[in-house]
Amino acid sequence: MTVKRNDYRGLVRRERGRTFVLMILLLASAVFFLEACGRKDEGITSLEQLNQPGVRIGVATDSTEFSIVEKEFPKAEIVYTKDLMLSFTSVAQGKLDAFVNNRLNMELAIRNGLQGVRLLDATIGDGNVGAVAISPVTKIPNLKDQINEFLREIEKDGTFDDIRERWLVKHDMAMPDIPEAADPKFHLIAATTGVSEPFNCYVNGELSGYDIELARRFALWAGASLEFKIYDYEGIIAAAQAGDVDCIFANLYVTDERRQVLEFSDPTYVVEVGVMVQDTGSHGAADQQGGIAHFLVSLKESFLKTFIREDRWQLFASGAVTTLLLTMLSILFGTLMGFALFMICRRGNRVANALTRFFVWLIEGMPVVVLLMILYYIVFSGTRMSGTMVSIITFTLIFTAAVFNMLKAGVAAVGTGQMEAAYSLGYTDQKAFFRIILPQAIPHVLPSYKSQVKALIKATAVVGYVAVQDLTKIGDIVRSRTYEAFFPLIAVAVFYFLLAGLLIFIVNRIEIRAFAGRRARKEGRDD
Amino acid sequence: MIELEHLEKRYPNAVPLKDVNAVIHDGEVISIIGPSGTGKSTLIRCIDMLERPTGGRILLNGENICAPGYDVIKARRKMGMVFQAFHLFGHLNVIENIMQAQIDILKRPKNEAYETGIRLLRRVGLADKEKNYPDELSGGQQQRIAIARTLAMDPEVILFDEPTSALDPTMVGEVQSVIRDLTKMDKTMLIVTHELNFARAISSRVFYMDQGGIYEDGTPEQIFENPRRDLTKRFVRKFRVLELMIDGPYYDFAGAGGEIDRYCLQNDISTHTKYRIRLAFEELTSAILRPVLDHVPILITVEHSGKGAGTEVNALYGGERFDPAERGDGFSYKVLQSTVKSLSYHYDPDAEHANTVRVVI
Repeated sequence: MTVKRNDYRGLVRRERGRTFVLMILLLASAVFFLEACGRKDEGITSLEQLNQPGVRIGVATDSTEFSIVEKEFPKAEIVYTKDLMLSFTSVAQGKLDAFVNNRLNMELAIRNGLQGVRLLDATIGDGNVGAVAISPVTKIPNLKDQINEFLREIEKDGTFDDIRERWLVKHDMAMPDIPEAADPKFHLIAATTGVSEPFNCYVNGELSGYDIELARRFALWAGASLEFKIYDYEGIIAAAQAGDVDCIFANLYVTDERRQVLEFSDPTYVVEVGVMVQDTGSHGAADQQGGIAHFLVSLKESFLKTFIREDRWQLFASGAVTTLLLTMLSILFGTLMGFALFMICRRGNRVANALTRFFVWLIEGMPVVVLLMILYYIVFSGTRMSGTMVSIITFTLIFTAAVFNMLKAGVAAVGTGQMEAAYSLGYTDQKAFFRIILPQAIPHVLPSYKSQVKALIKATAVVGYVAVQDLTKIGDIVRSRTYEAFFPLIAVAVFYFLLAGLLIFIVNRIEIRAFAGRRARKEGRDD
Repeated sequence: MIELEHLEKRYPNAVPLKDVNAVIHDGEVISIIGPSGTGKSTLIRCIDMLERPTGGRILLNGENICAPGYDVIKARRKMGMVFQAFHLFGHLNVIENIMQAQIDILKRPKNEAYETGIRLLRRVGLADKEKNYPDELSGGQQQRIAIARTLAMDPEVILFDEPTSALDPTMVGEVQSVIRDLTKMDKTMLIVTHELNFARAISSRVFYMDQGGIYEDGTPEQIFENPRRDLTKRFVRKFRVLELMIDGPYYDFAGAGGEIDRYCLQNDISTHTKYRIRLAFEELTSAILRPVLDHVPILITVEHSGKGAGTEVNALYGGERFDPAERGDGFSYKVLQSTVKSLSYHYDPDAEHANTVRVVI
């Protein structure tokens, strides 16, 4: 069969037209389907609606609510979420049908402007008991008894009621001025999270909240100097277990499992457990009012909330400095160590090579966060080394392995002939390497070196696990106050781009300086 | 003076050098020839200690450089090596390539190293390339610079490891003439090469290597004109006579053309003659003999006498008597006859190949 040129074109046009119509139909049906899904119910109004197959109920990974949800809604699917703010957003966007958490936290979030969600009136379970957790290996004698005695005393004189009234009922976020103990008898290290309003959070860049006030008052009462360390809820129990901290002031709930590894004081607070669901009505309405003007206004509001209010930009700045410092030191030490390791292995020493292969295999085979946690909670657990130090060690090791591999590949690319030529001219092994091989290997190494630098900056985002307040952690802290998921995330992303740009700029400067002589000669060749 | 005593180099799966013995006197220019894989390169790499011998001794001016604890750097400073693949330093330009080792190893001041470099660049004819980088130069130019780099270190002995094997045929000449020029310097030179005419022209002594050792050692005249031992004879003859066996309908004629080109290049046969050899080969095989002798193998030999006696192309084949002058494609036969000096046919029923067509060009 022959097809004339024009016929063929017509055929193609018709075919394209058909595809186009099909695409439109598909899109339309997708939109219709999504709309239908969105409107599948008028919203959840009672607890019974949640106990259905296919209903997705979120609980925080680090919380105790999952046992309550399991008991109350046995037919529903439990979804574990890490980040409180993102969980709320998931409910607002319909990704989760409900989220079960401390009712007070969720109330506050809605009062602070969280949209698209509402709380069910009913509470579930008997409530969670929050208390001060005490490390089983703390060096401070009778810490638990002291805390209990302190709690009894402030209960008696009415201070406790006043603290509860201010933070938990009135939500007055002003931190009272509590003096430090003069002439302290001992040093108390307390773990907290800084992301749980109103218990422990940042107000005007200062650690504040119900737990923080309790801790400060206790330190004063007991005559102790007080130091706070910031952890994620995931890492906080391990830190106390390992003895990195003496106690936890973070509204930690008492459970049987936790009792096996930690000691708890008398209850400091009983938390009602509430259920957050999507607020279908108001969400739709807000969208329809939308438009670009509305978007811009909300963007401005987000910017103000995220950076300007309470001078939060200072938090971001300190986080950026931490991330930058961490990355730069790790790159510096990692480069030196990777080079040293390569030089040791270059001669083909079998023991050195086997050990190095094992080291590289170990480092490269492990997720960064796992390596970090192992070093912090196991290897250096007894040393009271700061999270920043352990992070630098971790990323130095990671970069060492990367530099070692890069050098190996770069030097292999130069070829054995160059080495033989140098030998035959009378060079020693060392001299030949530095004068002949390395200058030719570096151009092979540099491109991957730069991408490793960028990868390292991004990889440091996990140091929040070990009490380091880097850029990502600051983003979490700010989000826990502003109840905005979107803006701080984008801001943090932009910061990472800027930091990567800065580091690559530095690497480029060093590169130009190192090769300046050669470039000048190469350019001056035609003079 | 270099003395090789029972030198052995053993690899896990091969033994290129079994027992090498020789005395190399100062000022000798020695070509090392022989079939591929007979340890020619391994030998000179052992002498430069780039490969460590597994047995025997190498004495350089009486000192055993293979002895444990001997500083090989000391031996290497007296020797220079020119590699098949040049190995110029890619990050340095031409003059820096020549200066670097003088400064690093001989501790010469920069200006002196530069003077030496320029003098040697003039000697190899590349003074104008001083500022170029190696990757901007042709293979022949790179090899000449590699030679200058070696000379700058004032070696007593220069080792050449197939210096022209990696070169385009058009560049072989320039490198050979530089090496020929060096033979006037009275330096000891060892040259591994496949260019037998070159070897014959420049060397004072030739090592024919085979069977893991120096199989025959003699003057160029002896090795090339009157070899005493069988393998040498066969090697030299193979070099002088090209043999092509056309053994079936799928014979690789393009490959045969390449073989003829290589043979002509090795034997310094002019382009004009080369085309006539190819013409004779093609006419004889594809036009005259192949159509008739469908399954009879045809052996073609090409032999260039080099003494003005012309070049002989013979076609030998078995079977019944077949004289192409009497039968077959008469036109092609006449064309061939008109372009050559003589064309003749012999029949000898007792010979290995009964029929012979001889063409003299």
